[in-house]
Amino acid sequence: MKSLTSQFKSVYDLNYPKVIRLCLGYTNGKMSLSKDLAQETFIKVWQNLDSFRNESSISTWIYRITVNTCLIELRKKKDVRLSNHLNHLDVSSPDFFDDKEVQLKKLYLCISKLKTENKSIILLELEGLPQKEIAEVMGLSHDVIRVRIHRIKNELTKCVKK
Amino acid sequence: MTTFEDLKSQWENQPQENTPNNGSELIVKKINRIKRKQRITTIVLLITTAILISFFFYIEAYKYRLVSFGLLLMISSLGVRIFIEYISLKKLKQINRTTNAAVFNKNMTDYYKKRMKTHYVSTPIIILLYSVGFIILLPSFKKSLSAGFYNYIICSALIILIIMVFYIRKQIKEELLVLKRISS
Repeated sequence: MKSLTSQFKSVYDLNYPKVIRLCLGYTNGKMSLSKDLAQETFIKVWQNLDSFRNESSISTWIYRITVNTCLIELRKKKDVRLSNHLNHLDVSSPDFFDDKEVQLKKLYLCISKLKTENKSIILLELEGLPQKEIAEVMGLSHDVIRVRIHRIKNELTKCVKK
Repeated sequence: MTTFEDLKSQWENQPQENTPNNGSELIVKKINRIKRKQRITTIVLLITTAILISFFFYIEAYKYRLVSFGLLLMISSLGVRIFIEYISLKKLKQINRTTNAAVFNKNMTDYYKKRMKTHYVSTPIIILLYSVGFIILLPSFKKSLSAGFYNYIICSALIILIIMVFYIRKQIKEELLVLKRISS
């Protein structure tokens, strides 16, 4: 039990930033909702940790749980609007005006316009997960993922440029 | 000129959320709280059932066949509904989140399709049996209760039925929406 707790602690500490960033991608930058989703994800990680078989890397395994958790939890909720914090960026004072943040807002907005499955794929790509592992997380073939990523990259870049 | 690499670097350089210091301990505590809550719910349900059964024998309801039949119909239909919900919730919790997204999506779609079957087949039958049980009890209520109280029982039963139908309708609508979103 003690070893499982310490194993969980190291898994949590190592993966929390990745999980929260992925969740932010699903919630359009909404931090409180992302924290809830990250908590739900780690509850599932704890509940399944003893069944983890090292067939894939632990981070791929956690990404799988995160994607599934975010998708199902968000489907139960009404549409998630762009985070209030991000919405305010357009009208904020010049001091606060930060080009990087506006760009990030635009990126979130464009990600939110993607189809659900494409959203998951591109978020994992943005996280730097190898395509083979993205295919494993999504349950699609490597070839399908390769073609899809190429298409979504174009779609996303076009949207951000608008 | 924005390229995907620029977007990727924006993504990677966004402000980072610090890992909570005692985050893992809080998760373990939360899980223990959930387990405790589940145990309490089971105990409360068991005690309620035991009280109902003992009350049934205490008032010797079994001596009045029609009354006991009506009561049994009402209690058992409610019991079956609670049991279905309990099993359904358990199955939802058991759906493996460690599988890939495609398998998970299929499992969730299957789950919600089954839920729809429950809503459209089992629930109306249960409501019908519950109502029949109540109607069977009405003559004995009329005999043993004052007119005012009898009317009150009928009105409150109707109100409860309407609230129940609205609540179930809302639940069906919500679950249909989830099913639609999963399938899309």
